[in-house]
Amino acid sequence: MTDPAIRASGLRKRYGDVQALDGLELSVDRGEFFGLLGPNGAGKTTFINTLVGLVHSDQGTAEVFGFDVEDDYREVRDRIGLAPQEFNVDRFFPIIEVLEHKAGYHGIPRDEARERAEEALKTVGIWDKRDTRFDWLSGGMKRRLMLARALVSDPDLLILDEPTAGVDVQLRHDLWDIINRMNDAGTTILLTTHYIEEAERLCDRVAIMDDGRKVEVATPDDLMARGTDTIVLELADPPRTAPRLDVDGVTDVELTDEGLSVTAMGGSQTAPAIMRELEAQGHTVASLDIRRASLEEVFVDMTRDERDYAEVSA
Amino acid sequence: MNPNATQLVTLVRREVLRFVRRPYNTFLPPIITNALYFSVFGVILGSRIGSIAGVSYIQFVLPGLVVLGAISDSFENASFTIFHGRWNEYIQAVTTSPMSNRSMVSAYVTASALRGVITSLLIIGVGLVFTSVPVSHPGYLVAFVLVITTLFGGLGVVGGLWASDFDYLTVMNQFILRPLVFFGAVFYSLDVLPPLWRSVSLLNPMVYMVNGVRYGMIGVTEIDPNTSLAVLTGVTVVVLSIDFALFKRGYGLTE
Ligand SMILES: Nc1ncnc2c1ncn2[C@@H]1O[C@H](COP(=O)(O)OP(=O)(O)OP(=O)(O)O)[C@@H](O)[C@H]1O
Ligand SMILES: [Mg+2]
Repeated sequence: MTDPAIRASGLRKRYGDVQALDGLELSVDRGEFFGLLGPNGAGKTTFINTLVGLVHSDQGTAEVFGFDVEDDYREVRDRIGLAPQEFNVDRFFPIIEVLEHKAGYHGIPRDEARERAEEALKTVGIWDKRDTRFDWLSGGMKRRLMLARALVSDPDLLILDEPTAGVDVQLRHDLWDIINRMNDAGTTILLTTHYIEEAERLCDRVAIMDDGRKVEVATPDDLMARGTDTIVLELADPPRTAPRLDVDGVTDVELTDEGLSVTAMGGSQTAPAIMRELEAQGHTVASLDIRRASLEEVFVDMTRDERDYAEVSA
Repeated sequence: MNPNATQLVTLVRREVLRFVRRPYNTFLPPIITNALYFSVFGVILGSRIGSIAGVSYIQFVLPGLVVLGAISDSFENASFTIFHGRWNEYIQAVTTSPMSNRSMVSAYVTASALRGVITSLLIIGVGLVFTSVPVSHPGYLVAFVLVITTLFGGLGVVGGLWASDFDYLTVMNQFILRPLVFFGAVFYSLDVLPPLWRSVSLLNPMVYMVNGVRYGMIGVTEIDPNTSLAVLTGVTVVVLSIDFALFKRGYGLTE
């Protein structure tokens, strides 16, 4: 039985006028490091909340390791460690006890819960704050605690909803190291983030969501290849008007101060053909520079106007 | 311990520690309030009232005060802990855990009932400072206190899920519980009422609780204690079923 870590099908959720989830289809493999990107309000948090039972979807189903999130809620929640976007920590207790309690809610006996709590605090580097209450932690320490609490039950699926929002560079790298190690050890990771670089660096695959739907799923490299790259060619003998280029993938040719600027899908694949074509037309290419689309640009393209994008790719 | 038991025990522990570690908020108030009640109603007024139902007024009032304290604290505990957890969202640590809905409810109600039981003991303790405290039927006393605190722990869960602001908690306590208790024969015997008011009073569920505890303590009651106990147990079972159903539906907990 190799059910995926997460399978969502036809998920819909409406809040008043807002269709937060609009028929979401998504599948995350076991052991994968999966990124969920999308603009504010895309429905990322709503989706995550349906998995842990904080949101009851209107339609559709979601499964975690083959267990239905509603019918088999205990099986599902047993396997998930969640670091939510908003802080939701028990303020009555010092943080070490907060973690012990969380482990206990997962059925871990008290002695072991204590050990796990200590270990989790050490892992995220706030062991010296163990007797402090949540309110007295700095913002970055609070984020660390959210991760520690998600880790304490040793989950098979770690869900991190914007774990690095507003944290400094050092901490961001620390968090990356920790979750990378978890992933190497076999934990499936679902990460939402607005830092595209983070997704690019960490994720095996990313899904881009908008308006409660999945717009695209691919590896970061694949996505970037779909973006339009810019190829700037310096010609030895600059022409007066931009030459016509009859090459697959080229969408625009422009004469600029720098030289000839060619816009093309998948620049590195099309560049040789462009050079051949130019030379066939009698031009001499003096230099060539490919400026790759960043994942960020691709992302902006896809979510700003996904209908246009759909036309281009169709 | 099996995982289910560990889960339940953990949440009960968390809940009990929450109130045990804040004694100035949880244990001191009933001590002070009841010391005041005893001074005014028992000592100052009591000396003029003489004896009711064969005991001194202060002894007559004591069971009523136990009920008053027990129900308001068990109700307050459950409604506060649930509402506060929802308000600050930390209840999600529980509701997104693999605990069963039944376990969650059982833990909240158990801890809240325990809070009510402790309050009862504190009030009896304060009573001992002022007078001797008879215990005629210890079995009934224990049974009534347990069923009452469980019932109000269960009602507090409903209140905590329903509340959408802190005001709701105050409203429920001050405007519903207190009046019912005050007109629940805490301070007087039903015999002193005109027949009409006596009949109306019998519609007040608190009357049965006060009489039950009073029977356990001074051995005198105006209502058959077995009937009261049976009815209260029935109502408690119904309320707990409602709690389970609300948790299952995610009422107040799930969007
Ligand atoms: N409890 C709620 N009541 C009403 N509307 C809600 C509620 N929760 C979410 N929404 C709406 O649902 C939509 C999706 O919200 P969601 O929080 O899932 O977005 P998100 O992708 O996580 O955004 P962000 O990147 O800002 O965290 C938004 O339009 C939001 O306003
Ligand atoms: Mg979000």
